[in-house]
Amino acid sequence: MDTKPKSACDTCVHFNAEGLKKLGVNTTNFDFVVALAGNPNTGKSTVFNAITGLRQHTGNWPGKTVTRAEGAFEYNKKKFKMVDLPGTYSLLSTSEDEEVARNFLLFGKPSVTVIVVDASRLERNLNLVLQILEITDRAVLCLNLMDEADRNGIEIDTRSLARELGIPVVASSARFNKGIPELIQTISDLANGKVSCKPHRIKNIPKKIEKAVEKLSDEIKKEYPNLPNSRWIAFRLLEGDRHIMEVLRTGEFV
Amino acid sequence: MSTYNPINALLLFFAILIMAFFVFRPSKGWLWLILNSTKTNDKIVVEDILKLLYHNENADKHLNTNDIVRTIKNNERLIIENINKMVLHELITVEGDVVKLTKSGSDYALRIVRAHRLWEKFLAEKTGFKEAEWHALAEQKEHELSAAETEQLASRLGNPQFDPHGDPIPTQTGKIAKIKGTPISELEVNTIGRIIHIKDKPDVIYRQILAENIHIGSLIRIVEKTPERIVFHSEGEAFVLAPIVAGNITVTVLEKDMTFEDDLARLSNLKEGETAKIIGISKEIRGDSRRRLLDLGFVKGADVRIDLINPLGEPKAFLIKGTSIALRNNQASKILIKKE
Amino acid sequence: MKSKSIEDIIALSNDLRWQIGDDFHDNLAEGIYADAAEIVSTTVKTKDADRKFRLDARIDKILTSKLWGFPLMFLILALVLWVTIVGANYPSAMLSSLLLDTVHPALKGFASNIGLPWWLDGFLIDGVYLAVAWVVAVMLPPMAIFFPLFTLLEDFGYLPRVAFNLDHLFKLSGAHGKQALTMSMGFGCNAAGVVATRIIDSPRERLIAIITNNFSLCNGRWPTQILIATIFIGAIVSPSMAGIASLSAVIGIAVLGIFFMFLVSWALSKTVLKGEVSTFNLELPPYRPPRFWKTIYTSLIDRTIIVLWRAIVFAAPAGAVIWLISNIYLGDESIASWMIHSLDGFGFLLGLNGVILVAYIVAIPANEIVIPTILMLTVLVSGIPGGEGAGVMFELDSVNATGQILRSGGWTLLTAVNLMLFSLLHNPCSTTIYTIYKETKSLKWTTVATVLPIVMGFVVTFLVAQIWRLYA
Ligand SMILES: Nc1nc2c(ncn2[C@@H]2O[C@H](COP(=O)(O)OP(=O)(O)O)[C@@H](O)[C@H]2O)c(=O)[nH]1
Ligand SMILES: [Mg+2]
Repeated sequence: MDTKPKSACDTCVHFNAEGLKKLGVNTTNFDFVVALAGNPNTGKSTVFNAITGLRQHTGNWPGKTVTRAEGAFEYNKKKFKMVDLPGTYSLLSTSEDEEVARNFLLFGKPSVTVIVVDASRLERNLNLVLQILEITDRAVLCLNLMDEADRNGIEIDTRSLARELGIPVVASSARFNKGIPELIQTISDLANGKVSCKPHRIKNIPKKIEKAVEKLSDEIKKEYPNLPNSRWIAFRLLEGDRHIMEVLRTGEFV
Repeated sequence: MSTYNPINALLLFFAILIMAFFVFRPSKGWLWLILNSTKTNDKIVVEDILKLLYHNENADKHLNTNDIVRTIKNNERLIIENINKMVLHELITVEGDVVKLTKSGSDYALRIVRAHRLWEKFLAEKTGFKEAEWHALAEQKEHELSAAETEQLASRLGNPQFDPHGDPIPTQTGKIAKIKGTPISELEVNTIGRIIHIKDKPDVIYRQILAENIHIGSLIRIVEKTPERIVFHSEGEAFVLAPIVAGNITVTVLEKDMTFEDDLARLSNLKEGETAKIIGISKEIRGDSRRRLLDLGFVKGADVRIDLINPLGEPKAFLIKGTSIALRNNQASKILIKKE
Repeated sequence: MKSKSIEDIIALSNDLRWQIGDDFHDNLAEGIYADAAEIVSTTVKTKDADRKFRLDARIDKILTSKLWGFPLMFLILALVLWVTIVGANYPSAMLSSLLLDTVHPALKGFASNIGLPWWLDGFLIDGVYLAVAWVVAVMLPPMAIFFPLFTLLEDFGYLPRVAFNLDHLFKLSGAHGKQALTMSMGFGCNAAGVVATRIIDSPRERLIAIITNNFSLCNGRWPTQILIATIFIGAIVSPSMAGIASLSAVIGIAVLGIFFMFLVSWALSKTVLKGEVSTFNLELPPYRPPRFWKTIYTSLIDRTIIVLWRAIVFAAPAGAVIWLISNIYLGDESIASWMIHSLDGFGFLLGLNGVILVAYIVAIPANEIVIPTILMLTVLVSGIPGGEGAGVMFELDSVNATGQILRSGGWTLLTAVNLMLFSLLHNPCSTTIYTIYKETKSLKWTTVATVLPIVMGFVVTFLVAQIWRLYA
């Protein structure tokens, strides 16, 4: 494994508070794009607000953010544009509410994807996380709502979680600004290529499907050798996603 | 306003109301009839004749003009006229008494069948129409879809192979997948199989099957077979059918080592305080609502229990993968569980 | 050649899809969850599983209990509405004394000082400015109270429980439990209610919720209801009962609105919306203490911006039109009075009058300027002394004086009752219509949502008028 996921304590030493500037809506001339994805109601907008200094509406109500919001911050002289995506349970279906999130992750080419999850409901949230890891190889898991998890007596071993997922994991309580500096530091490390990931690949798939996926993804790789997510494209093709077929034809995403 | 009095006004109002009812009433209203009479044109008659011939030739039956007039519910003269026209356009040939499809006639028929089955698939996946309504709706729509629209529909549905009854959808080039299966009526006791086809004709029997809640894709196990009745278990319930009804349901037989869960229950029957494991979602839930349930974690092997019950009894909230999700009974009753 | 090999890949995917069959999605979803379960089993430890979510469960048991569930819900909604209506009085009075009684005369004075021609002065200050000021004064305070309260409930996590409790009733009418929330939000502002329908993920139920949101009596209409009820309903009972009688009348209208909402939802789901996809699933999030000040602040800013936007975009042109029709003459009659006279007959049939219909036509943009427009038009056509001049909307401080103007304009108890009904049942305001179009992107459904309530309004007021006249 070439990943060196850093635990929260490794990174907090590095965090350079003077280097951070919250830029609000000023999203011009950015160096990197950061996408915020996750299930509904896991605190994405709260993280977004904490980092950009904006006041996106947050609400304890699944499905609150329906369009994407954009903001920006500067860290160590680099400008980051941040996009708060609508919450989704999955990227596999064809329902319209996922469309925005899915298209952005696939075609918006974010430099870093922050996946915000609810620490008390990790298993359910991993459904989406594992899908996103098929799409992108530069992601960080933001294990949010840690205060609630503590209260509920849930303990998470962030180191082995990071090892399993192959991406950095940052524990946070966005509402109380805990873990946000570490998250910013990790985002910056990923964007600047100081940390690299080896994301988890979905394993428990029936043989005949795995074979079909492999065959298809090999063909796709022949055509687009630099594509990191040929497996995901194969999934989508097998699902019959017309949008993906269109894009394959035009070659838009490479 | 000299003639105004409230009674006159009310009478006039109700007179207008009744008029409007007659004009706009769906399917029998005058407006509807006018709109429709222009639609029952030659095209529909021609296409219906082609389909009729196609289905019969597939079953190795040959029809004469009289059979056609008898089966197609339409003006007799219109049908005869159109048969003559179809001969001119080389869609059919009439040899002696027997009417046969030509190559281009059978291609045309295949396109109609393709449109029909694709539309049924569409109704099943993307709309809320009831199963019993699909056929009639597709019967209309098949005449309206142009070739280009049919292809668009196909690609939108991901080029499906079978329609929701399990009938193969002809490809654009006219290829048809074969259904390989056995009617339930011919299976031995204890065979396990998966339903792959339910004939939607004759209507009486089809409705009976629908009323029993039997669906394509369900696993079944035969438990009893006599000349009078066939009993099989599926999705935790026992079904008793007459052999002629069972003959309309086709299954593929599955390997022996397949485990068949017999004592299944439905999520809607779970009581407060009980826990259960999810076995699967009935095939009756399709399309987006099926996907959504899977996304929410209602997958095979997940633990589930009741979290909250609505003051009026429905919906119930279920605790699944640490989250409380409320479902109505009509969905919960299609999630199969095994109580612990 | 690239395009050829791409077509090959797509063809291959079609073939493979055929081979692996129907269960692809099921298998994939199950596979991902199996991976997730494996990962969780090695990384997550739950101490003392029983303690899990105990407080939440206890709150839930009460909020959804057979005994307390419904009473608590109605109590909370009633409280929110009460705080809104009563609380809005003071800031409204202050705003209107500032914007209408102080700034308006000052502007007039300034205009005459710099010698603005009378028509420009009238058009800009009496027309455009007054309409904007009116909307701000009437609408801003209740919105700024109602929505923060609502947002607090949302942040706490209570709203999904309301949807959960009420879903049974909504299911009977073919609608979605979450419509309970969009409906309640409609009591604040229909446009906001329509936007909120985004939380309903079933297409059919969402359309139903959009089309029926207008049956929630919004903040712009409450003041009309209260004023008319106080003048006319309060007057037919003994003074000691007047307050209760008029309050019950207003509540009655709101409840009638809920009744129509259920009725129309049911009818829509059985007819035009038959066959639209219908699903229901509702996630009940954990309770979380709201961040009080932050929420109040954010939602206050939000609402202020929305009200101002609406006042400028929609109410300003309406003000201009109102002033113009009152001041442009066709022959020896102003357009307004010509319209009023031509609509008087129809208005009479509905138990209303031409003034009311014209007021509703020009006040489509904003329901809150209906009463001032009615007063101005009544004075204009009846020639009673009072008012501020043609095209200058006004309202009177004293309820009695308002009543006198209306009565001398020929109003009876029937007119009042039917106005209250018509204020409930008429087309949505233009902000809402615009919002419906933005949300549905369909001209058809926007038209249905616009025309349906007004047709219902015509029918209901017509029937009430005829029956009333038969028996009175
Ligand atoms: N206790 C706690 N609550 C949080 C935390 N982060 C977010 N929340 C709350 O969770 C709810 C949902 O947050 P939001 O940012 O709107 O989630 P989104 O739907 O993912 O954008 C809000 O009520 C937040 O105040 C946290 O770290 N701890
Ligand atoms: Mg959000």
